[in-house]
Amino acid sequence: MLKRTVLAAVAGVAIAAPAAAQDADAYVVGITAAMTGPPASTYAPAVDALRIYIDSVNAAGGVNGKHIKLVIEDDGAQPSKAAANTKKLIAEDNVILMVDASLSSTYAPVIAETKTANVPLLFASGVCPPSVLPPAAPLEFCTTGYASHYDSQATLDFVKATAKGPVKIGFSAMAIPLSRGEMDHAIELSKKMGLTPVDEEVIPPPTADYTPFATKLKDADPNWVYSWAPWVTQVRTLEALRKLGWQDDYIAWGHLEAEAELARLKDDKFYTVNSNALFQEKLPIQQEIEAAAKSAGSKYPAQTMTEGWIGGMAIASALKGAGWPTDRGKLRSAMESLTIDTKGLRGGPIVWTKDNHFRTTLYYRFYRWDGDKIVRVQDWKTYPVN
Amino acid sequence: MQLFVNIVVLGSIYALIACGYVLIYRVSRVLNLAHGELMMLGAYLLLATAWLFRGEPVLALAAAILLSLIVGALVYVFLMRKMTGEMVLAAILATVALGILIRGGVVLVWSAQQQYPAQALGVPNPSLALPAGARISLWSGVLVAANAAVYAALFFFLRFGRWGMRMRAAGQSPLLAAQRGINLHGIYALAWSLSTFTGALAGILMALDSGLTSSMPIIALKAFPAALVGGLDSLAGALIGAVIVAGAEVLLIYYVDPLLADVVPFLVLIAMLIVRPWGLFGTREELDRV
Amino acid sequence: MFRSAPRASGYFRTDYAQDLALIQTRAERWSLAVFAAALALFPFVASPFALDLASQVFLVSIGALSLMLLTGYAGQISLGHAGLIAAGAFTTGILAREVGAPFWITLPASAITGALLGFVFGLPSLRLRGLYLAVSTLALYFIVIYLGGEYETKRGFSTGIVVDPPILFGIKLTDGRAWYFVLLVAATLNLLICMNLLRSRSGRAWRALHARETVAAALGINVARYKLLAFIISSSMTSVAGSLFAYYRGFVSIEAFDLFLSIQYVAMIIIGGMGSLLGALLGAAFVTLLPYAIEALLHLLPNVQRLADDIFAVDYSAFGVVMLLFLLLEPLGLVGIWRRIQNYFLLWPFKYRPLAGADK
Repeated sequence: MLKRTVLAAVAGVAIAAPAAAQDADAYVVGITAAMTGPPASTYAPAVDALRIYIDSVNAAGGVNGKHIKLVIEDDGAQPSKAAANTKKLIAEDNVILMVDASLSSTYAPVIAETKTANVPLLFASGVCPPSVLPPAAPLEFCTTGYASHYDSQATLDFVKATAKGPVKIGFSAMAIPLSRGEMDHAIELSKKMGLTPVDEEVIPPPTADYTPFATKLKDADPNWVYSWAPWVTQVRTLEALRKLGWQDDYIAWGHLEAEAELARLKDDKFYTVNSNALFQEKLPIQQEIEAAAKSAGSKYPAQTMTEGWIGGMAIASALKGAGWPTDRGKLRSAMESLTIDTKGLRGGPIVWTKDNHFRTTLYYRFYRWDGDKIVRVQDWKTYPVN
Repeated sequence: MQLFVNIVVLGSIYALIACGYVLIYRVSRVLNLAHGELMMLGAYLLLATAWLFRGEPVLALAAAILLSLIVGALVYVFLMRKMTGEMVLAAILATVALGILIRGGVVLVWSAQQQYPAQALGVPNPSLALPAGARISLWSGVLVAANAAVYAALFFFLRFGRWGMRMRAAGQSPLLAAQRGINLHGIYALAWSLSTFTGALAGILMALDSGLTSSMPIIALKAFPAALVGGLDSLAGALIGAVIVAGAEVLLIYYVDPLLADVVPFLVLIAMLIVRPWGLFGTREELDRV
Repeated sequence: MFRSAPRASGYFRTDYAQDLALIQTRAERWSLAVFAAALALFPFVASPFALDLASQVFLVSIGALSLMLLTGYAGQISLGHAGLIAAGAFTTGILAREVGAPFWITLPASAITGALLGFVFGLPSLRLRGLYLAVSTLALYFIVIYLGGEYETKRGFSTGIVVDPPILFGIKLTDGRAWYFVLLVAATLNLLICMNLLRSRSGRAWRALHARETVAAALGINVARYKLLAFIISSSMTSVAGSLFAYYRGFVSIEAFDLFLSIQYVAMIIIGGMGSLLGALLGAAFVTLLPYAIEALLHLLPNVQRLADDIFAVDYSAFGVVMLLFLLLEPLGLVGIWRRIQNYFLLWPFKYRPLAGADK
C-alpha cells in the first residue's frame, strides 16, 4: 500500500505541468548555474551574491521602476542540463537576458540556444570565452575577473619586477584543459621575458597527496612558482611545497576563497594576483555587501561575493540602459555600449563596446599576507585589451 | 629519501581506504561504492563535532569516530540488509545511490564551500623533519601511524577475537556460519561499522592534513585498485596492493610524467585483472554471475 | 518468441510466420498506430522545452537499449558506458574538426571506433565475471577519459570541441523539430535492431550465457564469441549515440562524460527492469525526466526562493533516494509495475489468476 501511494505521488507530480508564472510587470532574467556538482564551490557563492544584489536593488524600488525577477536553474555543470535549462528559460519563462554561471563545458550549448532566440548572454563567474574578446560575438558578454593569457602576462610582469635577480620559475596546473593551456602559454611567455622555466606540474583533480608533485617541483629548484588553476590545486601545491621546506615566493590567481585563505595560511611569501579588490581595503561598497549578506542570511561569507555582486551590477546597469518597456534587441544594444561602475570592486569601470564584450581595460592588484594582515603589494596596473 | 616517505604516506592513505573495501567484501561479498562518500561524511562529522565541542579537539575527534561507527551500522540495518538476496549489480547500485544521497545531503547541510577541519579544531599541522633531509607533515605522520595501528588491530581481531573469527566464518560460508548459530546480521552490521570507521578515519586524517575537498569520493575510487591488486578479501593484500599502487604512482610522477598519476592505478588494475583476477593474496573464487 | 503463453482472449498462432511477427493482434496494431500518431504530432503541440526533453529521451534510450542488451540479456556488467559515449562523441568531434568530415562519414566512423573499443572492453569478460568485470570496465572508462583529456589539451581545445550541425540530405539540422524526428527515427531503428537481435540466434545465445555459462558451452554455444559479440554490438550502438550526442549538443568536452553518466545508464536499466527492452525505454525516460519532476514538486512548496541553494542539493539527493526506493521496493523495475497494471486490467473485475488454465 505504501509502495503504491509513494509511486502514485511521484507519477502524479511528474505529470503535473509546471506552472509558468509569466510576470508581465518585471524584467525576467534567467540563470543556469552549477549549484551542485564538484565545481559548485566556485559558482554557488557567486550566484548567491547575484541574487542578494538583485534583491537589494528590488528592495530599493527596482530598475526603471520595475522589479528584476531572477529564475535560477541548476545544471550541475552538465552541458545537457544547461541546454535544457536554457531552452526552458527562454521558451517558458520568456527571459530577456540569460546568465551562464557554470563550467566552460556548458557554454557551447547555451550559446547555441541563445543565438537561435536572439537573447543576450552574460557569463558571470565562469571563465570568459574567447568569443567576447574583439571581434565579439554579438550576443555574448562577460564580467568574470579572470582571463586567459592576460592573467599570466600580468603575473609574469609582476614576478619580473619584484624578483631580485634571475628568476627560475616553476608552474603548477590542474589537469583540466583550461589550466594546462594557460600554464603552457605562461611557459612560452616566461621564456620570452627572460625568466627561466624549470618545471611544470600538472596535477589531476582527485589527488590524495600533493607531496609527490611538490617533491618534483622542489627538486627543480625554482625561486618562484606560479599557479593558475582552481583554488584547491593552487593552495595544496603551496602547502605541500612549504611542508617540504621550500621557502621561496609563490604566486597564484586570487579566486573567491583568496582572502580567507591568505589569513589562514599566514604565509608572507604567498602572493595573489586579483582583479577584484579584497575586503581588507574596507571600501564602502564592501561594507554594503557585508551588511546585505548578513541580513539575507547567506551561508557564504561576504568575501566570496564580489564576483557575483559585479555580475548583478552588470545586469542592473544593462536593464537600466535598456529602459522600459524593452525587448531583447534593445537590451543587446544597451549592453553594447555599457559602462558598469564597479564602485572600487575592480580597478575601474567595466566598459563594453560593440566589438569588445569583455572589457577595454584590465586591472590587476597584488596582495600578500604581512605578519598580521593582508597588504596590497601593488596597486591597480592596467592592461589594455586589443 | 623523500620519495620513500612519499610512497609510505600515499600507500598508507590508499591502504586505510582499501581495508574498508576489503572488510565488507570479505564478509558479505558486496562492493561498497559509497565508501568514498562515507569517508567524506566522516570528515564532515568532524566539522560538526568540532563546532559542538569547541576548544576540545580530542573530544571532537573521538565523537566523530564514534559517530562514524554508528553511521556504518545504520547503513547496514536500514539499507543493505534489505538488499540481501538481490543480484550483485543491484547491491552495488544501492551503495552508489547511497553515495549520491550522502553527497547531496552534505552540500545541503554544510554548503559547497571548502572546509578546513584543522582550522575548526584549532590544531596546527607543522612539518616534521626526518633523517636524510626528508620531511613529513604532522597529520600525514599520524595517518601512517594510524594505518599501522588499524591494520595491526584488525589482524589480531580477525585472527584471535571471538567476533573476528565469526566474521571470518561468515565470510567463508554464510550458510554454515548461520547454521552454527552465528548472528549474520550482527556480523554484517559489525563489518559495515568497522569499514565506515576506517574510512572515516582516513577521511578525517586527510582532511586535517590538507582540507576537505569534494573530490574525496574519487580518491577512494583510486584506492580501489589497491584493494583489488592485493585481493579483495585479503587485508594483507590490501596493504601490499596499496604500497604497489602508491609506489608506481610516486615513481611515475617523479621520473616520467605527473599526468599519469590519475591513470596508473587503473592500468595496474587492468594488468592485474588480466594476469591474476583474484589478486595477489585473494582466494580463487567461483566468480558470481550478475 | 515474445509471448510464451497465448493471451487471455484466446488468440492462437497457427504458423511460424505468425509466431515471429512483431505485431500480432489487431489491438496491438491499433495502439501502435495511435502511439505513432501521437509521437508524430507531439512536436507541433509541445513547447520547445518539452521538445528538447523528448529528444533527449530518444537519444538516451539508444544508449539504454544497448546497455540493456549487454547487461540485461547477455549478463555482462559494464560500468564504462560513459566512456563509449565519449569515444563516439570524440571521434565525431575529431573528424569534424581536424578533417572536416561530413555526417555520413563520422557516424560510421564512430560506430567502428565503438566496435573496436567494445572488443577491448569485452576481452576481460572472457576471464572475469560479475564484480571483477564491472571493475575492469570501470578502469577502461578512466583510461578512455584520460585519452580524451589529453587530446583536448594537446590540440588546444581547452574549452571543448565545437561541432557544426550535420547536413542531412542537404538540410542543415538546427531546428528542434527536425532533430526530434531524426532522433525518433534513430531510436526506433535501434529498437528494431535490438528486437531482431534478440529474436535471432545471438539473442538466444546471450540468454543462454546469462543463465548458465557452463551449460551454454556444453550446448555448443561459442561462449567467447558471443560475449565479445555482445560487447562489440552494444558498444557500437553506444558510440553512435555518442556521435548523435555530439551533433545534437554541437559540442564535445571531456567533462560531459563523468562517472555519474555511467551510473545513470545503469540506473536506467535497473529502474526500468532488467531483461526487457521496454524496461530500457521506460528507465531512460524516467531517469531523464526525474530531475525536472523533482523540481516541479519542489516548486509546489511555499517559500521556495528562500531555500534557493538547498533546492539543488535536494534535487541531487532525491535522485539517490528514488534509486534506493526502486531498488528496495520494486526490484522488477518499472516494467514490473507495468506488467502489474496490465494484469490488473486483464483480469478485471477478477483479482486473482485461476490456478489451472492457459494463463501463466
